Amino acid sequence: MSSEIAFPSPQHRRHGSSAGQPLTRRDGVLKVTGRATYAADNHPEGMLYAVTAVSSIARGRVTALDVEAAKAHPGVVEVLTPANRPPLSHDPDDKIPPFGFRVEVLQDDTVRYVNQPIALVIAETLEAATEGAALLNPQYEVESARTGLENGERFDTPAVGVGAPSRTAYGDIDAGLAAAVRVTEADYVTPPQYHNAMEPHAVVAQWDGDRVTLDMPNQALALSCAAYAAYFGIPAGNVLIRSPFLGGGFGSKAILNGPQILAILAARMLDRPVKLALTRAQMYGPVGHRGQTWQKLRLGTDGEGRLTALHHHVLAATSSFDEFMEPAANASLPLYASPAILAEHDGLRLDTGTPGPMRAPGEASGSAVLEVAMDEAAIACGMDPLEFRLANYAETEPGTGKPFSSKSLRECYAEGAKRFGWSGRPLEPRRMRDENGFLVGWGMGTAVFHCPHFPAEARATLRADGTALVETAGADMGQGAWTALAQIAAEALGLDPDQVELHSGISSLPDGGIAGGSGHTASAGLALHNAGVDAIARLAELATADPASPLFGAGNIGVEARSGRLHRRDDEGRSESYSEILARAGQAEVVGTAKAARDPAVAEAHALFSHGAVFAEVKVDPDLGQVRVTRLVGAFAAGRIINPRLVRSQYFGGMIWGISFALQEEAVTDRRTGRIMNADLAEYHVPVNADVPSLDAILIPEDDPYVNPLGVKGVGEIGITGTVGAIANAVWHATGVRVRHFPIRLEDLLVNQRDVTSAFGN
Amino acid sequence: MIRYAKPKNVDEALALLSDGPWRILAGGTDFYPALGNRPLSENVLDINGLSELRGIAEVGSHIVVGARTTWTDIIRRDLPAAFDGLKLAAREVGSVQIQNRASIAGNLCNASPAADGVPPLLTLGAEVELRSASLTRHLPLEDFILGNRRTALQPGEMVTAIRIPKSATAGTSAFVKLGARRYLVISIAMAAARIVVEDGIVAEAAVAVGSCSLVAKRLTGLEAALRGLPIGPALAETVAATSLPELAPIDDVRGTAEYRREAAREIVTRAVLAASGHHPLTKVAA
Ligand SMILES: Cc1cc2nc3c(=O)[nH]c(=O)nc-3n(C[C@H](O)[C@H](O)[C@H](O)COP(=O)(O)OP(=O)(O)OC[C@H]3O[C@@H](n4cnc5c(N)ncnc54)[C@H](O)[C@@H]3O)c2cc1C
Repeated sequence: MSSEIAFPSPQHRRHGSSAGQPLTRRDGVLKVTGRATYAADNHPEGMLYAVTAVSSIARGRVTALDVEAAKAHPGVVEVLTPANRPPLSHDPDDKIPPFGFRVEVLQDDTVRYVNQPIALVIAETLEAATEGAALLNPQYEVESARTGLENGERFDTPAVGVGAPSRTAYGDIDAGLAAAVRVTEADYVTPPQYHNAMEPHAVVAQWDGDRVTLDMPNQALALSCAAYAAYFGIPAGNVLIRSPFLGGGFGSKAILNGPQILAILAARMLDRPVKLALTRAQMYGPVGHRGQTWQKLRLGTDGEGRLTALHHHVLAATSSFDEFMEPAANASLPLYASPAILAEHDGLRLDTGTPGPMRAPGEASGSAVLEVAMDEAAIACGMDPLEFRLANYAETEPGTGKPFSSKSLRECYAEGAKRFGWSGRPLEPRRMRDENGFLVGWGMGTAVFHCPHFPAEARATLRADGTALVETAGADMGQGAWTALAQIAAEALGLDPDQVELHSGISSLPDGGIAGGSGHTASAGLALHNAGVDAIARLAELATADPASPLFGAGNIGVEARSGRLHRRDDEGRSESYSEILARAGQAEVVGTAKAARDPAVAEAHALFSHGAVFAEVKVDPDLGQVRVTRLVGAFAAGRIINPRLVRSQYFGGMIWGISFALQEEAVTDRRTGRIMNADLAEYHVPVNADVPSLDAILIPEDDPYVNPLGVKGVGEIGITGTVGAIANAVWHATGVRVRHFPIRLEDLLVNQRDVTSAFGN
Repeated sequence: MIRYAKPKNVDEALALLSDGPWRILAGGTDFYPALGNRPLSENVLDINGLSELRGIAEVGSHIVVGARTTWTDIIRRDLPAAFDGLKLAAREVGSVQIQNRASIAGNLCNASPAADGVPPLLTLGAEVELRSASLTRHLPLEDFILGNRRTALQPGEMVTAIRIPKSATAGTSAFVKLGARRYLVISIAMAAARIVVEDGIVAEAAVAVGSCSLVAKRLTGLEAALRGLPIGPALAETVAATSLPELAPIDDVRGTAEYRREAAREIVTRAVLAASGHHPLTKVAA
């Protein structure tokens, strides 16, 4: 039985609740003491090790593999190649909706990118499997690699991201540009980036007849079960995924990949458990990345600095055999008021693995560029960048005219600017130096992120001892989901979070939806909330119908759940504990269940977004071009905050990612071979602690009555948006040099070697 | 089957070395990454049991740094100001964890163009002590590192110490590392300088640059140009005006050749100024 009880429910009130408290992570102690077992820590008896042999060319065919040599190596049990790979029940070149990708699982001898699996070696030890893979000594028929604009294949794409339209037009863009007093136009490039979660993709697969247990890090349990079931021709219920802990995912663990499917297949073929864990280098190919983009912005402005047109064109890279690409231009749709907006995309096919969603897919690369273009337009209009954004503030969603379910961006601008000290900023660049002669610059950007909601289910069990067990198959990637979800459930159950046990991360539990799109807390949280409310309703029924209870007959007046007791609504003094109610009823427990989904009518009537404003200070060494981000202040409004400590941590993580995007991250491709030259964490740079300045994340209070009954928006990705542009704009303000590609490199900024006096006002 | 041995003293180690080919394992911080996921195919001589090779001592006319001395050992040891550059470099090798494990000889024997230890040791006139069962020889560091990943180490030999003549320990030294992030980063370029000042005049100058050529180089032309100059702006002007033919940088993921050429001159200036008593960061750019 499930229930869909409207909020606020009669039994429940927000005040004095456990939500809103800055609790530390429930899984924290397990993690810091090494007791948290990650997927690859599982070693069932009789387990074999699988290692993928991967292609070293970007395009062509495998013409020979020395399978005999590999098999002859002691300990090697089997070698899977296209010649003997057992059949799959689903065609890997056919996508499984809604998030399916084409996967490379040895369906033929073609090579489509570097690091594509071309064989799987299974052995008694990791060492033997690794050596077996090396002994395969592949021979290739090599075709030239398509690695960039000059040789990639352009195509029209009907969709971008996960099914978003590739072209959205509001108003007449040409008329808007014609009416403009000024048109600011520029081209920008964002690089390929790789997720690089600390924990590599891994799986330990164990079959029992036609049932399979998969220990693997996974962000989308139910969807993945369904997809594996399709590949292996078994019911979805026969796939059990256990994913209690993830060492980061950032989108790359929401999507099935070839190596994992092959390992599962090998386990079935050999009837023994098989483990596969990718190496760091092998993660640069088959498990997704943020695709490169080439973006053109045209901003028309009138005499008052108001936009007359906003045209965002994106050429986005994808693989030669699939379609996912950064929906970057769509970042220009929800933010600034303009009578004409055109967001459009074209595709570029390269010989790389297929890109996939990576933290703030589309928004990160689109916002990075939009915010720089806005800065350029503000300067062209002679306006302060913040003043310019306020002049183009969207009171309703641009284009659609829908009201925002809530929008506190003005407050974000104001609070952020105040905390940062923005008002003292000179308009011209290169006006500030510190005591050591470093150039100082200030920049800002607007942050925005949508609020998706995934259908989810949950169960809440009130137990005889007055504690509760709540269950949903969610995913804690390190963001603190266990903790925030338990807080939401505890609030609904009128219990302290310590009294609530949360089971999550196993696919046999009620579907917790996807940990993605910054929608997990809202989605799984609402399901848990509803389940808790349902359990309390059932408990209330027992009590109010029992003549021996002090709550007898209160059915119409209602009761309230608080501190483990039900209270009569009109008489605080009459109450009874959960255990007393259950004991007298002779029940060991009551179970509440719920399904939750977004109300389509609410979604249709409103524009649903989190907002924020980020302010950055950088210091640039004029002779070396080194950039130090010395201060970052972000102010974010994202509805109701369940756990401010975790939320702040998400904002910090996003803002640090913004530093990374602006100044460091880039996969560098060898144009001759299509190989990535920095496929390791020594050369693929992300910031170290010393690169991260004092961070300040301000939580702007926001009450959203529409986004969902909890009023919760998302916080996981928004921190990247806004930050990248803010840093790039601060670099311009420090140096007078406008860099239009990311990351900004040291060599872009040897400003003492250059004449930059003419840079202002152009 | 490959062999693994962990001798307890140097003689034992040299005896083993004389009877076959071995790969020497010190801190392992280059050894293991270089291995990748390939299995070991050579005999491994683990020198971590050779306690006599760890530590810094004055021996006659030299300061002798044992081959196994770690970067942390160097940082913690009281040494003349001429070693300040080496200490600064030690603080920039990887991270603290790496500095605790990694040895000075390993850094030299690995012979990476980006080895941070090399430029400061060049400015200290360091020589490498090589021993085999039958012979001990001392090679100037310039003659020990021959190219990218190539050294003068002969079969049967190991490095037992780095020797610094006391005559080269006058003055003050500095080291400037240029990386694309603040820490845990491979150098785009690095510069070391040791300057001896007498009566406000440069009496001696030793300057070296790394990561801008296959092997880190002393800038002898510049050193000559600096000698005899008064401490002050003339030093920076001279670095700006002197050609640096030793620099032959390449383009790679860390930086372009053109950038390296310009930036190297700048970090040389800073190292020279710092070694002569000016703080490198307190610079009022034009
Ligand atoms: C994460 C990380 C970051 C790093 N960052 C830096 C950095 O910033 N700057 C830098 O310069 N280096 C860096 N390194 C490289 C490395 O730490 C240093 O080069 C270190 O000094 C090597 O010393 P080791 O004792 O670990 O050598 P090992 O790895 O044990 O040996 C290196 C090589 O030298 C040989 N060898 C070692 N000792 C002897 C000997 N006594 N006689 C003959 N041959 C010998 C070995 O056979 C091997 O070929 C980094 C390494 C890592 C893993």
